[in-house]
Amino acid sequence: MEALERILADLAPAGPLAEARLRAAEQVRAHGVPSTRQEAWKYTSLASLKDVAYRAASEADGAVLDAPSLAALPLASTSPHRAVLVNGRFRADLSTLDALPAGVRVTSIAAAVAADAEHVATVYAEQYAPEAVFTALNAALLDDGLIIEVDADSSLDAPLHLVFVAAGATPLLRTPRVIVRAGRHARLRMIEEFVGQDGDHGLTNVVSDLSLDEGAVVDHHRLQNEPVSTAQIGRVRATLAANATFNSDSVTFGGALTRIDIEVALAARGARCRLNGLFATTGTQHVDHHTLIDHQVGDTHSEELYRGILDGRSRGVFNGKVLVRRDAQCITAHQASNNLLLSRQAEVDTKPELEIYADDVSCAHGATVGELDTQALFYLRSRGIDEAQSRALLTYAFAEKVVETIPLDSIRHAIEERFIGAGALSELEALLKQS
Amino acid sequence: MLEIKNLHAEIDGKPILRGIDLVVRPGETHAIMGPNGSGKSTLSHVLAGREGYTVTDGSATFNGKPLLELEPEERAGEGVFLAFQYPVEIPGVNNVYMLKAALNGIRAYRGEKELSAVDFLKLVKARVKAVGLDESLLNRPVNEGFSGGEKKRNEVFQMSVLEPRLAILDETDSGLDIDALKAVAEGVNALRDEERSFIVVTHYQRLLDYIVPDYVHVLSKGRIIKSGGKELAHELEARGYDWLTSEAA
Repeated sequence: MEALERILADLAPAGPLAEARLRAAEQVRAHGVPSTRQEAWKYTSLASLKDVAYRAASEADGAVLDAPSLAALPLASTSPHRAVLVNGRFRADLSTLDALPAGVRVTSIAAAVAADAEHVATVYAEQYAPEAVFTALNAALLDDGLIIEVDADSSLDAPLHLVFVAAGATPLLRTPRVIVRAGRHARLRMIEEFVGQDGDHGLTNVVSDLSLDEGAVVDHHRLQNEPVSTAQIGRVRATLAANATFNSDSVTFGGALTRIDIEVALAARGARCRLNGLFATTGTQHVDHHTLIDHQVGDTHSEELYRGILDGRSRGVFNGKVLVRRDAQCITAHQASNNLLLSRQAEVDTKPELEIYADDVSCAHGATVGELDTQALFYLRSRGIDEAQSRALLTYAFAEKVVETIPLDSIRHAIEERFIGAGALSELEALLKQS
Repeated sequence: MLEIKNLHAEIDGKPILRGIDLVVRPGETHAIMGPNGSGKSTLSHVLAGREGYTVTDGSATFNGKPLLELEPEERAGEGVFLAFQYPVEIPGVNNVYMLKAALNGIRAYRGEKELSAVDFLKLVKARVKAVGLDESLLNRPVNEGFSGGEKKRNEVFQMSVLEPRLAILDETDSGLDIDALKAVAEGVNALRDEERSFIVVTHYQRLLDYIVPDYVHVLSKGRIIKSGGKELAHELEARGYDWLTSEAA
């Protein structure tokens, strides 16, 4: 990637973190852009990004969006707690964070760095593996992002809604980072929603790092709705202390090329996670999820359900790795990957990967690839529902399974809107409950 | 209303229907009986438009329209309803939502206005009581986890909301105990009137004690080999099918 070399060559960070950022940049240079010869990138070629003339998003690029333009973007949540980042830069003027309860703080990384470099120093302490080169790139270019702190026993009354807007007339490389620290028994429900303006050809390179203290519960909902011209390479990493719970939903509808890595370290007893994913693609979209659940000690538990719906000539990849470390006993780990192909040209590669070094373990995994059920299709059509609507209904039903347990209407509504029309079902359900 | 002429159909190159002639007029109830493998279910499916069957000869005209050339949803729009022998479980598709989509699909086909959610629910609530279906099943996925009786009752309930001109009941009695059978038959009888016609496909005469037909036809090897009034069903109950099938051969 020529553009990347130029961006790194131009990198001239100032301030207390300059040295660390240059170190990260050095690792990016050393590793280079991954190729499909690397196992972790086998099914996802970055060739289409190679000749794009990316430039690093600047502070000025963060200022391009005004309030009416933001209001024109369809957003999934109307939560009162909203933080907006435009091209990776926090925009206090577009955000509504005044009503946050005591014990919950949302700070921009730029402000945190200016005030106290130590606060984000941990970001730079790490070494990056070759397959995680984009995390190193994010560190090298990290100018802004959010730090979210929820103190012990604190919680929010409504979800914290993070909106990442891609809005570039020229192709921008955006590198926001989200750092979440949930204290003992803290509770946080957050939505990371990625949207953009039509015609954006940028690359969103986002990293979210979460640490959950003992007994903390974090629900992390990710909604990738960027334009189908935008590329995204994202990583979500969560580390869980004893009895902490991390629930992740990754819903991907948008993006030309999307690669998301979700890694959960179950680092102490009683920690558990649920990773759900849903992607629906068409045209030439490409969506790749790599998940890693690391059962580091005994008595840790994981559930995983990923579903893909592929139309057109789109391509999906799911690689779900479950690692059970030596002598980590009394583990449960269940994983399922189900995929629906709506077109003969669509393709999905799904691969469960279990690495188990303990014996008292209950692990199960299953992967399916199929088409719509012809019997169900005939049943619906025989009732008077036309073929297109019958297909849409069955596709929605397949998708809905992933989110049926999520007590968050905004994500369910986004899925409803995508497949059968906004409010089509939920309004009827609500009426039925009332009467 | 329905006129079937010399209908031939095959599945995977194997002939199943081999020359069916049948006329059903408004308000009539016809029972189609016959041993297993005689083509009863095939006839139901061909009329409803299920894929996988090839019509090789003959025709079926429904109120002047060439029924066999219509898509399944168009047949529903014309007023044909098939009550399935094995109602399909559709996880994730809400029962009442499916029914709303169906009713509005049929209304759109007829050039009628969509029913609002409020009006639709009023209709549904009235009908669900009438057929004795547990109201909590409305907001559940279509047929998922329903008992055998609930599934059949759900078919009759759907029928009562969609108000077809011709209802085809494909072995609606199979798998039902006597109480469930009576309840389902009551639901069907409540829908009988001078305009609406029924084709009741069944292996046993038992159902016909409760849904009393105007005509009974015996199907064997893809042909109607005998037609008569309701007393024919009793004769079949007493004597079985053998005397007819051997007579025909």
